[in-house]
Amino acid sequence: MNRLYSALALSTALTMTAPIAFAQVENPLSDERVRQAIAYAIDMETIVDTLFEGMAVPADSMIPNGPWHADGLDDYAYNPDRARELLAEAGWDEDYVVDVVYYYGDQLTVDFMTALQAYLADVGMQMTFRRLEGDVIGELTSVPEDPHSDVSAVDWDIAYGAKAALVLHEYYNVYADGHSAYTPSDPARTELLDRINGTVDLEEQRVAFQDFQRYESDALSDIPLYYQQIYIFESDRLDRNGGPYGNEQFNYDWNILNWTIEPDENGNEIMYTNKGPIQFFTQPWLNPGLTMGAKILYDRLMTADAALVPTDGQLAESFEVSEDGLSVTFDLRDNATWHDGEPVTGDDVSWSVHTALGVPSLNAVFANTFRSLEGAEAYLDGEADSISGIVVDGDRITFNFDTIDPNVLVTFSQFPPLPRHHLEGVNPLEFQQHPFWQYPIGSGPYRLEEVQMNDFARFVPYEGYWGGIANIDEIVAFPSEDNDPNVLQNAAAGRLDYGFTKSVSHVQGLEEMDHMRVIPANINYTRSLRINAFPFQPS
Amino acid sequence: MGTFILRRILILIPMLVAISFLIYLGLELTPGDAVSHMIPPDVANTLSAEDLEALREQLGLNQPFLLRFWIWLTNVLQGNFGHSLEAGVAIKDIFLDRLPATLELSGFAILFSTIIGCFLGTISALRRGSATDNSLTVVGMLGVSIPEFFFGLVALSFFALHLEWLPVGGRLMPGYDSFWDRAPHLVLPVLVLSLMMTAGVMRYSRAAMLDALSREYIRTARAKGLPGWRVNLLHGLRTALTPVVVLIGFRLPALIGGSVIIELVFQWPGLGNEFIAAVRGQDYPLVMMIALFSVLAMLLASLIIDVLTALIDPRVRLE
Amino acid sequence: MSDAALNRRFDRLRVLEETGKLKSRSRSRAVSKLMNNRLAVVGLCLFTIILLASLFAPLLTGYDPLRIDLRGRLQPPSWQHWFGTDMTGRDVFSRVLYGGRISILVGLGSALIAAVIGVGIGCYAGYKGGWLDAFVLRTSEVFMAFPQIILVLLLVSILGQSLINLIIIFVITGWGPMYRLTRARMLSLREEEYVQALQSFGVSTFKICYKHILPNALGPIMVNITLTTAMFILAEAGLSFLGLGVPLQIPTWGNILNAAQDLRVLQNYWWIWLPVGTVISLFVISVNFIGDGLRDSTDPSQQG
Repeated sequence: MNRLYSALALSTALTMTAPIAFAQVENPLSDERVRQAIAYAIDMETIVDTLFEGMAVPADSMIPNGPWHADGLDDYAYNPDRARELLAEAGWDEDYVVDVVYYYGDQLTVDFMTALQAYLADVGMQMTFRRLEGDVIGELTSVPEDPHSDVSAVDWDIAYGAKAALVLHEYYNVYADGHSAYTPSDPARTELLDRINGTVDLEEQRVAFQDFQRYESDALSDIPLYYQQIYIFESDRLDRNGGPYGNEQFNYDWNILNWTIEPDENGNEIMYTNKGPIQFFTQPWLNPGLTMGAKILYDRLMTADAALVPTDGQLAESFEVSEDGLSVTFDLRDNATWHDGEPVTGDDVSWSVHTALGVPSLNAVFANTFRSLEGAEAYLDGEADSISGIVVDGDRITFNFDTIDPNVLVTFSQFPPLPRHHLEGVNPLEFQQHPFWQYPIGSGPYRLEEVQMNDFARFVPYEGYWGGIANIDEIVAFPSEDNDPNVLQNAAAGRLDYGFTKSVSHVQGLEEMDHMRVIPANINYTRSLRINAFPFQPS
Repeated sequence: MGTFILRRILILIPMLVAISFLIYLGLELTPGDAVSHMIPPDVANTLSAEDLEALREQLGLNQPFLLRFWIWLTNVLQGNFGHSLEAGVAIKDIFLDRLPATLELSGFAILFSTIIGCFLGTISALRRGSATDNSLTVVGMLGVSIPEFFFGLVALSFFALHLEWLPVGGRLMPGYDSFWDRAPHLVLPVLVLSLMMTAGVMRYSRAAMLDALSREYIRTARAKGLPGWRVNLLHGLRTALTPVVVLIGFRLPALIGGSVIIELVFQWPGLGNEFIAAVRGQDYPLVMMIALFSVLAMLLASLIIDVLTALIDPRVRLE
Repeated sequence: MSDAALNRRFDRLRVLEETGKLKSRSRSRAVSKLMNNRLAVVGLCLFTIILLASLFAPLLTGYDPLRIDLRGRLQPPSWQHWFGTDMTGRDVFSRVLYGGRISILVGLGSALIAAVIGVGIGCYAGYKGGWLDAFVLRTSEVFMAFPQIILVLLLVSILGQSLINLIIIFVITGWGPMYRLTRARMLSLREEEYVQALQSFGVSTFKICYKHILPNALGPIMVNITLTTAMFILAEAGLSFLGLGVPLQIPTWGNILNAAQDLRVLQNYWWIWLPVGTVISLFVISVNFIGDGLRDSTDPSQQG
């Protein structure tokens, strides 16, 4: 019976928080050597080979591999002896139990946590893990009142999670003074952050990013674990006809107008997919490309390539960035219309930006861009009726910025303007609750034909689309959340011609099906251990 | 009878108010709220606390508890069931949308399980102690001993994926106009659900039949020389019907609550599916209304049982 | 019948009584009836085997149910691993055994606690009546007005997920029926003559309730405990499917079976789910058989 009771004791221990017993004590994880020891103790190579079945890449930095990744970083290859040495140097207390939290509900995460626990135990660190419940967002991001001296506002040692970034800055901007729930401020880091954000020059940015990575490689505010790819799956009926495969969670020029699909037995060219609406269409200003609706219903001012680097105009026929990077001008197409036939105007774009600033769940990159606009602060404070930095002249719209935002074009290649005449008067705080999201009107290559909430949504080519009429006659999207538990069932039954997933078990299952193919694509998605280095709450 | 029903309905009202208060209080005590669910953790690392606060203010999550409950209660009494926090859709519309799916699924399951269960139960009772009886008991027991999600998944994997006889799930597909179009989608979930329900009915009707067969008047009828089948059917089954009616009455609430897991396995867009989503999403108004609705169904069912048993069995008096 | 004959008879009875034979015979009648019910015996055997195997898990397997072996994952059954290994290379056989401890604890434990509470209150309140009875009756009505799964889900979302909370939740949902059952029995038993006799002797209420009446009401309560146990074990599995059960790192039957949710596991790695699925079903069946047997042997209306 002993084990039974120890399991019971364990579960009660989980509900308590480890720090309570160590009140007033300096956080042992604030010692760099301890963090490095943890990094050495975990055999990511083996975990990736086995648990993840090769479907992840061990990470040595938050920044994904590629031109922006710094060379010569310490990769903390599995070295339990080195970990034990470091712990001994740091005077690690073997009775201390590291409290790890996570917020994913899948079995793989629990398996990974179990593996982590075993690896840490091997070097003499005790660890428990638990899933965060309830107010996950609020808890994950509780920032100490005074980031210079104050105690931690979260009650765990390590949070396991991912950073899904649209732009690389998102990986590090959360370390900014007073913004981090985990890392006390550090002047050296603040300086590096300023360098990252202070320029639109790509080369300068890259050097700054690489310096930051070298700093982080020792400091390990986050212990990078692995990079994850996104897996796009298609049935053998579908053909992109040369369209590229890229970061599927966002929008890029994927050639959808020219996709083709083999007709079914009735001669209908219908593409089946998932991520359709459950109760409503999710508004695309938080996740601009995660759901099927967000992907095909709307156009943006610009498009991007598969790596999400902004390229050409989309709703805008042309665009121009000023020499100093503080002003961008777009000239809208004459023939771009909403699905109800009304033209897309500069006024729509301006209204969308104004409204978006009031929507609480606005994508962080968009928010950064819009807040850098000249007069945005006055508008937000209620001192001005509009943002002085937005100038509309017929089909020409100009954005003038107060401060440099390195991601202006990224924002406009992802942010979809919405039709003012349908949403006029919406309360930005209840944006998602507006009836518009039961039957949205967009400007993209497909329009909504019919929706049965929680059953299916049917999209058909928009006859008035400026770029021509799309090839596939109909797209049917079945409802699912971002992580669709029924991918394998539906794919096996021929109800999925296209989709994308991050789930390792889905990929394995799909690859075993003869009629499905899986194409991996690189994304900015790094899983890490976020280390809480703040001193603990005295109790 | 009329006054009895009226009085019972009058008792229902304070009961429902008390229950709704308890649920409201319980949900109040849970950590987190709808706002923390609306924004996925992986992307929300830079939202400011003020933004979140403004959203809470707007959704009315910041008012004192009792005031919120009072507002909610008065609204419901006026027929305004409120809106789902996440979707902003009127809860009434959600019910109108999802209820038919759930009723369709559970209705068929109850119908089939009752017919099959009564039939097998009667056979079992008439051949008490025989091999047929024992094997039926064991098979029936199996039906209630397998976790339903597991049963569902195995059935799905075999019939829908291996044999490809039936669709894997969902209810409506584009172009469906009649019931017959979607009937194939119904087969698997109804099959699994009714198999799980059959065992209960069978055991119940077996016991009731045995009870009835041991009654004096049955023996008398037999002694009078009436043919065996007539005695069994006309006299035995009729008496045995009372407990079966009770059982069906108890199953009625299952029309709403009983198929939660099956709906999830077969992607069936019913109320059960909606309830799980609402619980996970901490969409309080929706959780409240679905829970209350199922409570109401349960209470009404027990009222109906009482009335029906009184109608079938003249010895039962309603007080 | 003459006085002498009557006396002789009584003497014989007294002897029997004194040697305890009367008592033991009346007890053994229920037991022997239970033993005559073949299904109940099979159930009892299965139940005992599974229970003992779980309790003595360390003697039956050398594997730690939590010990992972990433390089040895997904091995089919072999002499080393009787039920193979799972996604992280843990020994499935040992997980099923140790998982049984938690699942049986949750199922049987919650049913027993619910019974102690429900019967404890029902016995006293049913006998005494009054405001206490009225209050508890109304409270139980409130809980019983919910469809079970709805109530469990509500409580999980309110209390949160942990082993202890799950037991609490099951007790909250399970005590009502036990209470109602006991109360109903008490209401009829308290009118019996022997109770009135005890009252007139001035035996304390407490003693009458728990010592004299309760044993006569135990039959249906035992039946109810078995059925409730079966229900809770299945409910635990269902909750883990919904992701709302015992935290995933604790091995329970439900958590192990939940791996079948992954279609690939369901189709390719049968050893992960088939043994545990079989054990759950066998255990639930055995409990149900015992319950049925108990009902037949304690219910005087179903003789023969």
